[in-house]
Amino acid sequence: MSAPEHKTVRSLGWSWPSGLPAGRSLLTDIPIFAAGLALFYSVLVMARYWTGPLTPQVQIDLRPQALPVYAFYSVLRIGIAYLLSLGFTLVYGYIAAYNRTAERFMVPLLDILQSIPVLSFLPGVMLAMVSLFPRRQLGVELGAILLIFTGQVWNMAFSFYTSLKNIPNEMREAAELYRFNWWQRFTQMELPYSIIGLIWNSIMSVAGGWFFLMACEMFVLGNRDFRLPGLGSYLQVASGAGDTRAILWGLAVMLAIIVLTDQLVWRPVIAWAEKFKFETVEAADVPRSPVLNFIRHSGVLGFLTRKTVLPVREAMAMRFARQHRESRPVSGKTGWGKWMAFATGGVAAVGVGYAIWRSMVLLSGLGHREFKVLVIGGLVTFIRVMITLLIGALWTVPAGVAIGTRPRLARFAQPLAQIAASVPATALFPVVLLGLIRLGGGLGIGSIVLLLMGTQWYILFNVIAGATAIPTELKEVCSLYRFSRIERWRKLILPAIFPYLITGLVTASGGAWNASIIAEYFHLKGKIFSTAGLGAIISQATDDGNFTVLLAATILMAAIVVTINRLVWRRMYTLASTRFRLEM
Amino acid sequence: MSPMETQHFRGLVALKRWPETAAVLSGMSPADAVEYVSALPDDQQQELFRTLPVNLAAALLGHFPYFHQYILLHTRPPAEMRRIVDEMPPDERMRFFDELPEEAWLRITEELGEFDGSAAQRKTPASDLPATAARAVAAPKAEAETQPLIQAQGVEKVFVQPDGQKVQVVAPLDLSVYPGTIVALLGASGCGKSTLLRMLSGLAQPSSGTVLWHGRPLAEVTPSVAIVFQSFALFPWLTVLDNVEAPLLARGVNARERHRAAMRAINTVGLKGFETAYPKELSGGMRQRVGFARALVVQPEVLFMDEPFSALDVLTAENLRSELLELWGTKKIDTKAIFIVTHNIEEAVLLADRVIVLGRNPARIRSDFHIALPQPRDRKSPPFLLYVDFIYKVMTRPDGDFALPAIKDAPPKTAYQLLPHARPGGIAGLLDVLIDAGGEEDLYHLAERLLMEVDDLLPIIEAAVLLGFATLEQGDVKLTQDGKTFTEAGIAGQKTIFRQAAVTRIRLFQQIANILASKSDHSISLELFRDVLDEHYPDIEVERQLETALHWGRYCGMFSYDSESDKLVLPHPATVGEAS
Repeated sequence: MSAPEHKTVRSLGWSWPSGLPAGRSLLTDIPIFAAGLALFYSVLVMARYWTGPLTPQVQIDLRPQALPVYAFYSVLRIGIAYLLSLGFTLVYGYIAAYNRTAERFMVPLLDILQSIPVLSFLPGVMLAMVSLFPRRQLGVELGAILLIFTGQVWNMAFSFYTSLKNIPNEMREAAELYRFNWWQRFTQMELPYSIIGLIWNSIMSVAGGWFFLMACEMFVLGNRDFRLPGLGSYLQVASGAGDTRAILWGLAVMLAIIVLTDQLVWRPVIAWAEKFKFETVEAADVPRSPVLNFIRHSGVLGFLTRKTVLPVREAMAMRFARQHRESRPVSGKTGWGKWMAFATGGVAAVGVGYAIWRSMVLLSGLGHREFKVLVIGGLVTFIRVMITLLIGALWTVPAGVAIGTRPRLARFAQPLAQIAASVPATALFPVVLLGLIRLGGGLGIGSIVLLLMGTQWYILFNVIAGATAIPTELKEVCSLYRFSRIERWRKLILPAIFPYLITGLVTASGGAWNASIIAEYFHLKGKIFSTAGLGAIISQATDDGNFTVLLAATILMAAIVVTINRLVWRRMYTLASTRFRLEM
Repeated sequence: MSPMETQHFRGLVALKRWPETAAVLSGMSPADAVEYVSALPDDQQQELFRTLPVNLAAALLGHFPYFHQYILLHTRPPAEMRRIVDEMPPDERMRFFDELPEEAWLRITEELGEFDGSAAQRKTPASDLPATAARAVAAPKAEAETQPLIQAQGVEKVFVQPDGQKVQVVAPLDLSVYPGTIVALLGASGCGKSTLLRMLSGLAQPSSGTVLWHGRPLAEVTPSVAIVFQSFALFPWLTVLDNVEAPLLARGVNARERHRAAMRAINTVGLKGFETAYPKELSGGMRQRVGFARALVVQPEVLFMDEPFSALDVLTAENLRSELLELWGTKKIDTKAIFIVTHNIEEAVLLADRVIVLGRNPARIRSDFHIALPQPRDRKSPPFLLYVDFIYKVMTRPDGDFALPAIKDAPPKTAYQLLPHARPGGIAGLLDVLIDAGGEEDLYHLAERLLMEVDDLLPIIEAAVLLGFATLEQGDVKLTQDGKTFTEAGIAGQKTIFRQAAVTRIRLFQQIANILASKSDHSISLELFRDVLDEHYPDIEVERQLETALHWGRYCGMFSYDSESDKLVLPHPATVGEAS
């Protein structure tokens, strides 16, 4: 039996440094104190602003000095929306995974909700929130936050649900046999098992959040013009005014925020989550983060953790264990629980039924002509989305394979691509559109460029992942037998990246449909640029407050996305996961 | 074989004169024969093997590498496959089965059991099975009097498939686990033995029937059990210590007590110093040790193990098995009974006090018997092989009627004495020299006197000692009373004395004499002894032993040897009378 290397044992079996913070350590703790202070101050600012009187149309100050405050508001919206998503994810995923009855409709529902274009929710959500808090800024803000929430939550919930479902059977049995209470099961098994998936989906979701934030900080709803102070509205106003300096400032701040989020939040979290990887062999290449090391070596945080987190954790564990031990396992559902379930189900059914009935009433007002317009719009957008995917695949496949198979290229290309990808396309829309118009192109072509900006990254990153996963042995076989370039692509590379490419295309397709709402219809410099398409119809209906068309178009779009997913992507996916799966 | 003979052999193969090739092969030792066959191209090997007589095929098969054995075996029609496997020497057969990958194992046991057994088995319900096969041995009295820890009464498991079809995985069966025993549940994979384990441990509910824990239904009590899983089922994000502490945390044991108990368990399994390591930093064997520690920390009354060693390599598994037996034997663990599920026959016979063999589709008890061998067990000992053989038969022939090998409580030492390679004439000469020297002489002087090297002299002295004619103590060779009588007797008398000494003192001669006397034709194939000795000595030594035995036996007129039929024959009564 070979002894494991002690070096790794030490590096992983790490715990908070013990003892009170020493003098030298205090110096390194200054940034942590500063961060605490900043957090406190920002809570104050936020509270004052939110409870302030309603000012639906804030005058956007284009001076660079104003940017930090705008950036702060935008970040705050994303942050709160993300926390909401996380909470929702845990509850929804948990119920869907453990309640058989609920699972049967919660999972398909998730699939449908995922396909409904977020921006279609905008009018309804906004109006509801504003009427909830008619006099406070809180209403509009909550509306924006809820919209971002609907943009980020589904994939997270789905990831958590699948993780829970995939926990290995014997591990579950171990937990059951040793009578883990639900808290211990959650903290020692379920959360750790699903955390990596959750983190990667969080990163994706937050990037998606920026995309929608840019769109919903400034919008027209019927006769009302909403404008929230934030980076998105800053950029839109700057583009509208043609103020290049302001645009550049705005983009710079945007980039800075993205890089900082990556360095201060995601990197440390990914490095920390390394230990949750469900693998049998230790990976040679472990992600590292200086920030995480810094936090780990901070005396103050260590001290605080030992004094607060650890005792609380222990107390919680003990409390739940005692409770669990005292409660005898009850066989079957209690009558009370059963009634509660029935009641909840009944109320939900009545609610859904009412909504459907109201929708039908609304839709019955739809004329034959409007219906025809809708169908044609759907067709046009469908073609546009397909062209976008095709162009996207055409350049990302060679590029992704090049990056994925050449580690040296990957070292600088991958971070660059990551940053480029996380700049929300919506932030760039006004700028790009301005350029296109100057070049004499209309939105017909422009919208494809815009869609591409938003969705090509999904394909690129998946292709890179696929190319990286090609086993070295197979590559060696190719060079050993002197495969020509074409043979190499046909026999190895394309089949190997196929499953990844499909994943990328599925995500990109969904994203493109969603983005079409913004890309096909745009306010700029007080003018409206638009082109034919289902997205444009939805946007226009929002502008006009035409709820009948809005509802019909939304349903149509969701139906198209779901149908394509079922008929095309799912089949390709099955093919990919059976025939083209690389298992070594 | 000489180069010319090799040439001849190759020629026979090339001309596809298989019967003659087989004849050549049968004249060699199996190992040599296989060496020759292995040098042939694969297709010729297979063609040759297909035409070999069954007994020769059986003798050779075990000497091929295991993956090749499987292929060669499949060149024969199923009925012959079965006969070949049956006729293989037991230890070679055991090795063959144990080295097969699980899938191949499963397939071959099915193939072997298929053509005469299963058809009949499907018709006969469990109750109609011959009593011996269904339940070879009832639980001994001592057990029947103690209260069982776990008692399953008519438990069965039926899974309902999505299309509404019901699949019976476990047929209704009764089973009890008594304290102080290691029970092995043996069966092919997928036969429902893991399901049975889960029902007994309370993880799964039986579709009908009840499981009693200390006489009370499982639903009412929380049984003190632990499971060691095949896949270890450790939490990769927890350190070794946290993994072992986890079951205690679930019970609300406070931090200090938790730490103490976990450290003790980690110590017991020999993982001290690895508390802060994560499972992924450990080797497979060490991970399973963590699994053991986690199971032991709750001090289970019954320790369940679900194929605990099958995910490990052979050496590691062997190591862990013996450590488990040591912990159990020295009472270092507080477990009252161990219930181990395995598909490995050898593992079952090695570990268990009691073996339960399960049949498939659905699982039912095919045989339930005790293994009356003391620990530690020797895989090469004949009783061990008999058990392995018995289980193998039960598993491959569902409706067969087999008697459990009769093994006495304390099996007598079956070891054969190693015959020194000395000729009887040499022994007589040595004794003569000794008597001249006054009945006692220093080893070195003796060598000088005989003008021999000590190394050459030693076997002769050992032979004399073995026969009780002399003693060797601290370099001094001394004549015994028997030795004196021998030297004083005439030639015929010497033969009689020699014969008596050999039969009373040497086990091999004892056996030969018994068999020759009891068999009607007073003859026995030498092959039998070749087989028997094969389990004790390497091939070369077996031949030398037999050669020596032949010299001795023919000298003293105990038997004659017919080289044509390779048989030992009792000499004509007249000859015997003349000799005495």
